Amino acid sequence: MRERGKGFTLARVLGLCGVFLVLMLVAFLVSVRFGDQPISLHSALFGKPTSKDALIFWSVRMPRAVLAALVGAGLAASGTTLQGVLRNPLADPFILGVSGGAALGATLALAVGLASVGEVAPDLGGGLARLSAPTLFAFVGAVAAMLFVLAASRGHGGRTPDVALLIGVVFNSFASAVITLIKTLSDPNQLGAILHWLAGTLGHERAGTLALSVLLQVAAIGVMLALSGRLNLLTLGDEDAASLGVSVASTRRLLLLAASASVAGAVALSGLIGFVGLIVPHLLRLAFGPDQRLLVPLSALGGAAFLMLADLLARLTFPLFGGDPPVGVVTALLGGPLFLALLYRRGRLTAA
Amino acid sequence: MKTRLVPFVLLAALCLVTAARAAPPKGGPRFLGPKPPEKVKRVVTLAPSFTETVMALGAGSTLVGVSRFDEAKEVAGLPRVGGFIDPSIEAVVALEPDLVLVQPGPGNQRSVEKLAELGIPVLLLPLHTVADTLAALRAVGKALGKETEAAALVQRIESTRVRIREASRKLESPRVLFVYGFTPLVVAGPGSFADELLRDAGARNVAADASGAYPVYPVERAVGVSPDVVVDASDVDVGKDTLRALLSESRWVEVPSMALLQPGPSLGRGLEELFQLLHPTVKPDAGIAR
Repeated sequence: MRERGKGFTLARVLGLCGVFLVLMLVAFLVSVRFGDQPISLHSALFGKPTSKDALIFWSVRMPRAVLAALVGAGLAASGTTLQGVLRNPLADPFILGVSGGAALGATLALAVGLASVGEVAPDLGGGLARLSAPTLFAFVGAVAAMLFVLAASRGHGGRTPDVALLIGVVFNSFASAVITLIKTLSDPNQLGAILHWLAGTLGHERAGTLALSVLLQVAAIGVMLALSGRLNLLTLGDEDAASLGVSVASTRRLLLLAASASVAGAVALSGLIGFVGLIVPHLLRLAFGPDQRLLVPLSALGGAAFLMLADLLARLTFPLFGGDPPVGVVTALLGGPLFLALLYRRGRLTAA
Repeated sequence: MKTRLVPFVLLAALCLVTAARAAPPKGGPRFLGPKPPEKVKRVVTLAPSFTETVMALGAGSTLVGVSRFDEAKEVAGLPRVGGFIDPSIEAVVALEPDLVLVQPGPGNQRSVEKLAELGIPVLLLPLHTVADTLAALRAVGKALGKETEAAALVQRIESTRVRIREASRKLESPRVLFVYGFTPLVVAGPGSFADELLRDAGARNVAADASGAYPVYPVERAVGVSPDVVVDASDVDVGKDTLRALLSESRWVEVPSMALLQPGPSLGRGLEELFQLLHPTVKPDAGIAR
């Protein structure tokens, strides 16, 4: 950024955010317009609300596009933030053990055959009892893993981000070993469900779940955005940042928490969708430079657009396979070549 | 430092316990979403055994969509709506079905509830045991207005079971390993309908001590128990020669059809086939309706 002489100006931020907002809206519109079934837009918008077209448009595609946008935004924004906080270009949203915890939780729920929360705690009334058990277990697992990694990395000499990273990586391998153990002991039916969850698929969530998820993502991305200026200073090194008045440890802890919370919310609803949180931030960094104040909002908008389009692509291949391939596969197939192409054109790779 | 390991250890223990105690969910057939119309005209099935059930009840013309696993030639031209875990809601909604037949599981819970929320009647039919299968036949028959046909199907399966049980009583009981796959070795364990059919046919399932319905069975143990008969119900040959060499003392037989593999109306025929495989010297009962 600096070498290309594009400073941080409000006009540039607003301009680029505007462009990406339009991009995201276009992705949203395309994503609800097209799908496996051809629908008439006219009858969906102006026809009977119980018609086939209206049902598919409003109740199937719309919530799914919103979910894709939320998950994509959360993963990409936390990817950007974590790459900055951990000063590691390989950092992705799942690096702090959140994915291991979530996957372990969901795998347990699926392996014992729990469908809804009502089966765990039948006395719970109302909406909570109908919550999907794998989702709840994944969220609890993600939060527990996050707290464990943050607490374990805090004590001895844990001011350095490397410790959190290392513990996260170890926790993930441990969790994956336990998951493998459960998989080998499971029925073929349950195994199929577990593999499907682990591959990362966008399902069908209720409006209430989506609303909660919007709140969580807005809050988490808000924190990341608010601290993005301080994160810029952290990249100068801890001592320099401290001498500029940044409280290094608390900034880092807050950012780790916000990013992990956002990932926990995303992963509970979608399973493990890789690549979005790694590729989208790097693409944007290659294109627009390393300023976190710009990267966080652009990543959120760009990640949302990217995942909605990837999910659309997954849904459009339905006639080919007789089922949607997991969207995590599509993101990797799309993101890999795209990233390589840009890397070769720009010829450099930085972490914040 | 030591205290930090405690969560890991607890977690590992918890996982082991829950994995070992994994049991199929309980509960019989039940409806989700609105009630289906009196006369069901458009049915979507999400598993081949339901397709088979609908056809066996004489309601094959009501089928408008099936799963991608359906191979029966009668439904070859019908639209596919995805699999057991990942049905395409869009594809199902577009077919405007009066009834969707689903085997419930934790993997498809959200999609199935979504269908019900969209106003599509769903009939959930667990298919773990023979009793489940018979209950599913009755429930589908009731929903399609084919109670008599369903009762006849159930009656035929039940009488086949009684007859085969009676016939096997006088025979020796072979010790049997019922194999679904070789790499890894997956067998019929307690809680599977194949296990029940083995008992009907007078056999002793050597994998009755396994942890679940379809466990991965240690090859060493299979060799140790040296079954009298190995029933090969797998459709792949990879790894078969290895086990065959290890269990060369056992008599190897292959299931002749899909009847033993699908918990549906063909269970009775599957049981007769199994009986024939296990007791080849006994003449098949001529003149008894199948």
